[in-house]
Amino acid sequence: MSALHSIKTQLKSFLTEIGELSLFTGRYFREAFKRPFEFKELLRQCYNMGNRSLLLVVITGFIIGLVLTLQTRPTLMEFGAVSWMPSMVSISIVREIGPIITALVCAGRIGSGIGAELGSMRVTEQIDAMEVSGTNPFKYLVVTRVLAVTLMLPLLVIIGDAIAIFGSFLVENIKGNVSFMLYFSQVFDALEFGDVIPATIKSFFFGLAIGIVGCFKGFYCEKGTEGVGKAANSAVVFTSLLLFIIDFIAVFVTDIFYDL
Amino acid sequence: MKNTNSQKLRLGLFVITGTVLFIIGVYLIGQRENMFKKTFTISAFFQNVNGLQNGNNVRYSGIDIGTVKDITMVNDSTIKVDMTIDEKMTIHIKKDAIATIGSDGLVGNMILNIVPGNGHANIISNGDTIESYSKIGADDILSTLSVSSENAAILTSDLLKITTAMIKGKGTVGLLLNDTIMAKDLKQSVTNLKFASRSATNTINELNTIISSLKTNNETVLGMLINDTLSGKKLKDIIGHLETSSAEVENVLANINTAVDDFNSSDDGAYNYILKDTSLVNSLKSTLKNINEGTDKFNQNMEALKHNFLTRGYFRKLERQEKKLMRKND
Repeated sequence: MSALHSIKTQLKSFLTEIGELSLFTGRYFREAFKRPFEFKELLRQCYNMGNRSLLLVVITGFIIGLVLTLQTRPTLMEFGAVSWMPSMVSISIVREIGPIITALVCAGRIGSGIGAELGSMRVTEQIDAMEVSGTNPFKYLVVTRVLAVTLMLPLLVIIGDAIAIFGSFLVENIKGNVSFMLYFSQVFDALEFGDVIPATIKSFFFGLAIGIVGCFKGFYCEKGTEGVGKAANSAVVFTSLLLFIIDFIAVFVTDIFYDL
Repeated sequence: MKNTNSQKLRLGLFVITGTVLFIIGVYLIGQRENMFKKTFTISAFFQNVNGLQNGNNVRYSGIDIGTVKDITMVNDSTIKVDMTIDEKMTIHIKKDAIATIGSDGLVGNMILNIVPGNGHANIISNGDTIESYSKIGADDILSTLSVSSENAAILTSDLLKITTAMIKGKGTVGLLLNDTIMAKDLKQSVTNLKFASRSATNTINELNTIISSLKTNNETVLGMLINDTLSGKKLKDIIGHLETSSAEVENVLANINTAVDDFNSSDDGAYNYILKDTSLVNSLKSTLKNINEGTDKFNQNMEALKHNFLTRGYFRKLERQEKKLMRKND
């Protein structure tokens, strides 16, 4: 009975959280298009989230491209299809690996950062103080952050993709003596708008999910220092899960529109 | 907010880098699909497009010049393929070019190849239709291959039967392979053949000598015939003479014939008189009758003479002489 009860309680709390998150998202969209716009704060957040994640994304992307090529090479060589490497690597990176890896890295870095920052602000009652002083904390803290991630993540994904393909080219150039022109000619021969456009649109949603979940967890943080850690942790976990769900939906929708 | 300006600068750099990369990517992909070039459309009709899709590359002599724009069914057996071609290529493509569907490598995408014609036709223009040629699809090749492999299987099974039979010594070839006695016989036959051929060579050599001697020796009849030109001339003369003689004989015969004809046809000749004149026969008959009567009367006269006293003595003398001769003979 107790097990059933606990499942019931967990399900109830999960559904409540989903409901709260939906309300939070709705509030975000309402507030986002309302004046006044906090441009300065938005730029600061963009710099924080975009520029400061760049190195991480670049290194991750480079290694992913390198490793993917190194791992795939022997198998393709068995089939005598090494010349298909640029097409294979570019399509897999642009369509899937680039966006999802970048989003996961950003979820770890940005999502947890937002969760911890807003959580500590909530714990130290800074948010309450803002409300008292007449500043809209949602607009100043949440909207700017979510918008910043939503805008920055696609850019990070594009740069990450480019770096990953370059890493793949380096391996091919060293191992297979493939020229830069040939490699990139084959890459763009294989890529189509059906690969790039859905992946870019998907990245916006990834950014939105990271921002919304991070802000939601931090904004409604439990009291105490423990709450801050919890908020940061659950922000990362929940965001990662949500990213895969969004990815699945995105692929599903793309399949309908682009006939992959 | 100490470093706001430098932060803004870095952020701007970051945003521009990302945006530029995106634009370059989009441009390069768009260029592949001829989105930023002036293009024109041509079409071709096929019976089977072998899985060609919208967006597949169009190649002219191996160069990518455009993409497949649209594939539509015209009727139950004809498919219209519209192609978007780079306008710069217009001057190179003639109206007699031929479109074929091929694949980019063994497992690659389908492509539409345009092969140049003989080059005497006019330059192609927007909306033109070019000739097409449907290649044999991979399915057809595979089905042919499967038929071939079935045939090969039947062949090998037959071969197996043949080789088994051969090993067991059945049939002529099997006998040849296995029968040692026959092999010996064959060996003997070959030896005999060798001997025979040697004899034949000898005989031919001898014949050669004879013929050559005939050629050189004029003393034999054949040799003379073959070699002696004088004798040949003489023979020729003889034959000439023979010809003249026969001609003369012919003349003689002709004369004889005319004579006989004359003889037959003449009413006054003795021959005709004898053979054809009935009055002569009648007079001859009456003459012979008169002669018969005459002789009868003469016989009577003779009998009368025998009995006449003047001549009786002579006849009696004759009788006596006869009797004497008879006695002597007995």
